[in-house]
Amino acid sequence: MIDTENLTRKFDNLIAVENLNLHIEKGEVFGFLGPNGAGKTTTIRMLACLITPTKGSAMVAGYNIIKDPLKVRQSAGILTENPSLYERLTAYENMDFFAQAYGINSITVRQSRIQELLEFFHLWERRNDRVGGFSKGMKQKLAIVRAIVHKPPVLFLDEPTAGLDPESAKEIRDMITKLSQHEKSTILLSTHHLEDAEKLCRRVLIMDKGRCLLVGTPDELRKKISTTPAIEVVLTKVTPEILAAIETNKKALEINQQGTRLLINVEDTHVATPEIVREIVEKKGQILSVNAVRPSLEDAYLKLVKGEEIS
Amino acid sequence: MNMDNAWLVFKKDWLEIKRNWQVLLPIIILPLIFSIVFPVIIMVSANAPMQETGTQDFQSLILNLPSDVQTQIAQMTPSQIGVYIMVLYFFAPFFLIIPIMASSVLGSDSFAGERERKTIEALLATPLSDSELFIGKILVSFIPSMIITVVSFSIFAAVVDIITFGMFNGMLLLPNVSYLVMVFGVAPVITLCSIGLTVIISSKVKGFKEAQQISVVLLLPVLGLVFAQISGLLILGPLVLVGLISIFAVADIIIFYAGIKIFQREEILSKQ
Repeated sequence: MIDTENLTRKFDNLIAVENLNLHIEKGEVFGFLGPNGAGKTTTIRMLACLITPTKGSAMVAGYNIIKDPLKVRQSAGILTENPSLYERLTAYENMDFFAQAYGINSITVRQSRIQELLEFFHLWERRNDRVGGFSKGMKQKLAIVRAIVHKPPVLFLDEPTAGLDPESAKEIRDMITKLSQHEKSTILLSTHHLEDAEKLCRRVLIMDKGRCLLVGTPDELRKKISTTPAIEVVLTKVTPEILAAIETNKKALEINQQGTRLLINVEDTHVATPEIVREIVEKKGQILSVNAVRPSLEDAYLKLVKGEEIS
Repeated sequence: MNMDNAWLVFKKDWLEIKRNWQVLLPIIILPLIFSIVFPVIIMVSANAPMQETGTQDFQSLILNLPSDVQTQIAQMTPSQIGVYIMVLYFFAPFFLIIPIMASSVLGSDSFAGERERKTIEALLATPLSDSELFIGKILVSFIPSMIITVVSFSIFAAVVDIITFGMFNGMLLLPNVSYLVMVFGVAPVITLCSIGLTVIISSKVKGFKEAQQISVVLLLPVLGLVFAQISGLLILGPLVLVGLISIFAVADIIIFYAGIKIFQREEILSKQ
């Protein structure tokens, strides 16, 4: 549904996006993850035909972004960095304008589509209110609804949860999940919120300084950056006997103590956990919890953008 | 280009403008002053005892008037001459200033205003073509500006006729051919020219105020016409007006063609 080939964009001497190659399947929710200035917005703007690439090309919904920009715009919906809503117009008037701009000329079709979407996302009651009076979260919701008014096969969401409080951010995430199920659109979303990427995306691309660092499912990314597995044990009290017992165990490669919390690096958590737990109990240790530590997507992300090596 | 799409942009912008007093007030106040305060000035001057020196102020203008008008004036009293000259010649060019002032406010708000309110990106992401966006933005400046001009001229004409009806023994001074040609012929072509340039400026600068400041410069040629007529250097008679229409019509075509050619979504977006 989206294919890019060496997609590059320079602004004077700054390379905002460099040789980006990616393939996004139909119906996939794909995430761009990266810090500010990573090139996420620039990539989305190129794919939405708002700016032209300096080099390379891309196909969106079967249309070339350089040769058929109007067709690409017709086939894509976009949530821009700002909601880009007309605040003096009502929610309905905003929707109506964009529905017509995207070529829905029949009044009946337009009305029923707007009603369907506003009802589905609980905005129908506020349809006649001016957008200027909406909360940030509601504006963001409306902006997303506006982006899908013409049933685009491809949807670009640029930082959909940026600047929202946790409750609104969750609402937007739920909305995107509903959207991918209800509309069956291919969704490309950019975010620097790892939670968004982890909860919403089937695959994630981590980018920094315009370059693609890694692409994969959140699980694959975790595996790729994972170093030694570890067990986290929390005790009521850590005694020297307990520490000595663990240190002598060959399966424990390294021990880090933080108060009553022990982080023990092992070769295999499945094999080492029962043995280490038994030794602690034998030394009269009282265990509060035991967890196998999985590196989070956050670890993967931080490791990559800080330029650490991938194992 | 699909004209329905340009019309769609117009309708959306017009809805917004109708609800924006910051934009609406300046374009209503000036015409109100022109159409009500000016006739009051005329009324005051008509009731003031007019001396021979009063008409001498208009001597250079009178000398440049067509001979039939001069013959007509010769039959009038000094008070009548003062009013006649003021109504038909002195204030006439001001009705070219109204649409230009209004369109400068509206035109400056077009792209620069959208950019300032951060609504431009979603608009540019729609499949509306460059020419549809450009023409739509021109329409939203042109139509209200012309409506305001015609309405203020109608009020001006009505007030003037009511005031001067008795003074000129039942003769209605307005509307006359020159005024009609000015309001319905010259004003639209000059306004279109000014709007075209203002919208181009608006797409190149960062904010609404910056666009407006630059576009006010476009008033200078019109002010030149005003002073030329007042001083008697150039009388805006039918022939001169037709000449102006032709010149500005050609300029309009060139500006529109250039405007669409240099319209760059990317440049508009990059000014954010």
